Order: sequence, then structure tokens, then C-alpha cells
Amino acid sequence: MSERRENKTILQLERVSRFYRTRGNVFRGGGRLVVALNEINLSLRAGEIFGLVGESGSGKTTCGRLIVRLEEADQGRITLNGEDITHLKGKKLREYRRQVQMVFQDPYQSLNPQVTIADSVAEPLITNKVGSPLDHMERVLKVLKTAGLSPAEDYVYRFPHQLSGGQRQRVAIARAIVLEPSLLVADEPTSMLDASYSAQIFEILQGVRDKMGATIMFITHSMASARYLCDRIGVIYRGHLVEQGPAEQVINAPQHPYTKALIDATPKFGRAAEVPTYGTLLAAERPANSSAGCPFFRRCALAERLLCAGTYPPWRQVGPEQVALCHLLEDAAPAVSTG
Amino acid sequence: MALLTVENLGIGYQTAKGLLKAVDGVNFTLEPGHSLGLVGESGCGKTTIGMALMGLLPPNGRITEGRIVLDGLEISAMSEDELRKVRWNKVSMIFQAAMNALNPVKRISAQMVEAIQVHRPEVSDEAALTRVEGLFNLVGLPLERLYDFPHQYSGGMKQRAIIAMALALNPKLVIADEPTTALDVIVQDQILKETKELQRQFNIGIIFISHDISIVADVCHQIGVMYAGQLVESGPAEEVFFNSKHPYTQALVSSFPTLAGPKTKLAPIPGEPPNLTGTIPGCRFCDRCPKDTASCKLDHPQWQEVGPGHHVLCDHC
Repeated sequence: MSERRENKTILQLERVSRFYRTRGNVFRGGGRLVVALNEINLSLRAGEIFGLVGESGSGKTTCGRLIVRLEEADQGRITLNGEDITHLKGKKLREYRRQVQMVFQDPYQSLNPQVTIADSVAEPLITNKVGSPLDHMERVLKVLKTAGLSPAEDYVYRFPHQLSGGQRQRVAIARAIVLEPSLLVADEPTSMLDASYSAQIFEILQGVRDKMGATIMFITHSMASARYLCDRIGVIYRGHLVEQGPAEQVINAPQHPYTKALIDATPKFGRAAEVPTYGTLLAAERPANSSAGCPFFRRCALAERLLCAGTYPPWRQVGPEQVALCHLLEDAAPAVSTG
Repeated sequence: MALLTVENLGIGYQTAKGLLKAVDGVNFTLEPGHSLGLVGESGCGKTTIGMALMGLLPPNGRITEGRIVLDGLEISAMSEDELRKVRWNKVSMIFQAAMNALNPVKRISAQMVEAIQVHRPEVSDEAALTRVEGLFNLVGLPLERLYDFPHQYSGGMKQRAIIAMALALNPKLVIADEPTTALDVIVQDQILKETKELQRQFNIGIIFISHDISIVADVCHQIGVMYAGQLVESGPAEEVFFNSKHPYTQALVSSFPTLAGPKTKLAPIPGEPPNLTGTIPGCRFCDRCPKDTASCKLDHPQWQEVGPGHHVLCDHC
């Protein structure tokens, strides 16, 4: 799939940050500021599947929500095809959302239980006043087929409770692609599903990319699924992007200690001999005095006290199109751009 | 002597639509200190088996046939009072969703002391607390967190507390039902390694229930693959994964993405599992099976031995 990768940038995040304030109370006073995303630079190329990999709480879902504009960035700029969408409002925002859609994690919660599948999938067409009611059904049947629900006629008058989890997630995908968006954000679409269904969802997402030409951001905690589905991968740790590059390179030759730790922790499924063990994760967290240093300092087995605790690491160019945020990659040249 | 013997086990749930046979004709044995992984998709009956081993089936569920014998005691024929003596003393369980298995308004230490004293009323408060401290050390929880409430713990710490509680009375058998499903990969990896180590150290038998074959593949000696209430393939872990014979096991293995090896196309399994309320005359997998023949739909498949200790419920393997 990599040979048909284009270089045209469709979506760009420039130094995007998002903060949350925890709720204070009578005893503790005001809330604490939590950095969900810290100066993220990312760009998605037209027609690619980009994997954003990280643990829970790493900010990967927040990143997706900023892109579909369910939330607004506190700092930085997000552009789609060169147009600034960071703070769009009203009519312009509605127009933007026709181009950018999201598939949520939990198919048991993302569909209205009282609405038939046909109405659920047609709803985006109605709210966006696309086409006449007469051709809505035709479009609904078409996207249900694209989403692997065939014969589609059997599903249109069913309710969500009559479907399995895998089928519901396919309806959620159908609903997201019915407006033919140019960008689809899929937030852990398979984490609630059994393996046999996940493989179907992967196939459908590939189909959406190949047939509809959509660009996909695939948010996941699984390195193995990212390897399977994605052209490029970004690894995110506690709100900081720490490594980015072509999928095969990041997985076969990871450079950042956190990426290495993630690969160590992934079940090898009897293929342990074929994957090196890196041992970059510290067994117990070490204390850090300042928050100015490397975000991974507390858990990094390789960290050097003075350098890593005190200063924020630079981006290094560690391979063709592969960059990592680490002090210890001294041999590598400074990265030209992290986007 | 085997620690656990399950013979021809059948479990049904009484539902509005009739008796749902969640488990049908399951046989397996577990040696002391060994681990068995039960894998299969949701609804295949793996948690039901776990609950039956604990004598904790819901009110509408009952054992319709077969026997469960643990350490010479027939669990399947016991009354509630007798079961209470076996539970936690001989067999304990690590429940799914550890986040919800702890009482949110009680301190961790108090909950663990309670778990010990409910099953061993003769143990004094001091002795129970000493035991809890020992358990904290065992599972790698810092002692200064003894008097915390569950909400002060991270997901991984809660899971460790649950594991500690399951080990509190030195059981011979631990049933771990999806113990790491809600955890991040790094924490999951640590907990799996620790569980494996504890098992070796104390010679505990473990039944590991999971929908994720990649996890059981790394942890268990023996694997049982379940489909629609039946065991369809069982044997030593490597045999089942690298030399799988049943079409369902093959499909399950090839529907998992891996980190290493050739990037082959994943093969999704088409279709859905059958409805278990009626009677199914032939093989339960035949609607989704690539090897399906006319006779598969009519006759019950028979168990075949395909290797040492490696059995398959399929007539075409």
C-alpha cells in the first residue's frame, strides 16, 4: 500500500495543546491544570491510514476529538487542506463536519437504541440537507454494503439491539461515511470487539480508504493492529508525541525508549524469537523534581540524570521520514520538521 | 491425580425462549500447578464454565449434566453450605473488570481482611492483617497504600489487589476471567508475567479465560478453544497455535494481527455464531466453515486425536 502513498498533506496540526482543569473542591481549593496534549505536530497525507498509538490517558482520543472539532484546541493551529479550522464556528463548522467524521470506540453507546438502522445512517444526510429524501434510502443501502452489511435490505429496519457488536460497529462506520468525508477519525473501533469482528472492521476501513479515497486516522493501543492497518504511525505518551514514522520502520526499528517498551509489552504470540527485547522500561518509576525534562524520564531505563531530567528533548531524524523525541539519539541529526 | 476433572459438563440457562444450552458436553482435566487457557468469542460459554467451577451460576442457570470434581470433591453435587467451604479455600476467582470488583467505600486492607475472615472465622484481626501485608509484598503493592480506598489506586494496582485477594487463602485453583482486558499493554504484560511467576512459586492451577488468544498463547500450558458452548480443540499451547486443526481455531489464529512474521492478510470469519436455544443436530461451526460438507450438518462430529494430547472435534481433520 505504501507505493500508492501520496505526499499531499490534507490535515496538519501545528503545536496543538489542550489543557483540562480538574474540578477543585472546598478542601483543596481550585483545580489543577492537566496537560492532555502538549504541542503536538502532526500531518496526515491524502489517502493514507495514520495510526496514533498510545496507552489510555495518553491523549490520543483528545487528539481525535480536536480534529473532528468536538473540542477546541487551547493553543496551536489545525488546518484542513490549508484552511484554518481551529476555531471555526456556526455554519462554517457545520460545513467542516461534512468532510470530517468520527467512528467512536463503543458501538453499544454510539447508536440511538430507539432509531432504526436506516434512520440512524440517514440522519447525517438529513441534518446536512444532502440529496432528496427519495435518494436517501439508496445511499443508505450503498454505504451499508460498503460497511460489509449485506444484504443491506435485511438490516435497514432493524434496531441496534437486534445486532451483534461487530454489526453495530459496521453501522457506525456506515453512518460516518454516508456523507463521503475526506477524513475519517476511527477511535479504537475494535477494542470492544472479538478478534474475528476486528479483522472485518480492518477490512472495511481499508475498503473505505481504497474505494472512497478517504484519509483515515486510526487511534489504537495495539501496535499489532497499527502494523497491520497503517501506512504511518505516531506514538503518543502522556500528551507528548514521542516518535513518528512509516509503520514498518517504527515497529521493526523503534528508536524512542517508550516505543521500544510498547513493543516489549505486546504479546508476541509465539513469535518471541523474531522480535528483539529492548528492556527500556524501568521496573519502578523514578522520582523527578521538575516537569521541564523528558516526558518519559520517570519510566526510562536508559535516561541520564542530568540531561534527561532537566531539559526537554529535541526531535531527531532517526531514519527516512522517521523522527523521535529523545536526548539519547546523539548520533542522529536534528529533525528538520516534525510535521 | 488431576486437580480438576470436568466430565461431559452441560450448563443451561432458563430463558423466556426456552432452555439456552450455554455449555454442552465439555471435558477437560487440569494437573496441579498447570494452567489451562479457555479461549473463544463472547457468548461461547467460557465465563459460564468459570462461574460453574465456583458454584456461582446465576439463579436461572444450572448444571444439566456431567460432573465437576475438584481435588476429590464433587462441586457439581454440593449444596450452597458445602460450596461456601470450598470457595476461596480451594478455588478462588479473579473477576472480569477488577475496577468494579472492589467495594468503593471500604479501605483495601479492610476488604482483604474481610475476605480472609469470612472464609476462616478463626483467624484473628492481627493475623489477617499480617497476611494482607504479606500478600501486598507478593503482588508488588507498596505497603503504604494498604489503607487507601480503591479510587486512589490505578487500574493496574486494583488488578494486583484483586489477585492478592484471590491468593489470600492459598487456593489450589484460581480462575482468572479476562484478568487484563481493561488494562494497558504495558501493565497487562507486567501482570501476566507476575501471575505466571506466582503460579510457579505456589504451584497453583490456573484456568485462564480470555477472548484474546495472543495472551493465553504466552501464558498457558494447555489451551482449550471453545465455540458455541463446546470445546472444539484442546492440547498443548504450541500444538494448538502452530498446528491448529479445527477450522475455527485456524480462523481465530489467522484473524489476529501480529508484530512479527510476514504481514499476511487477516482472514475475518464470516457470519455469526448459532443461536443456542434450540437443538443443533450437526457441527455448530458448519455455517461458517470452509470445509463444510453435507454430512457436517447432520451428524455430531466426533473427537479425533491428531497428536499427543491434541484433540479436535471435527470429522474432517
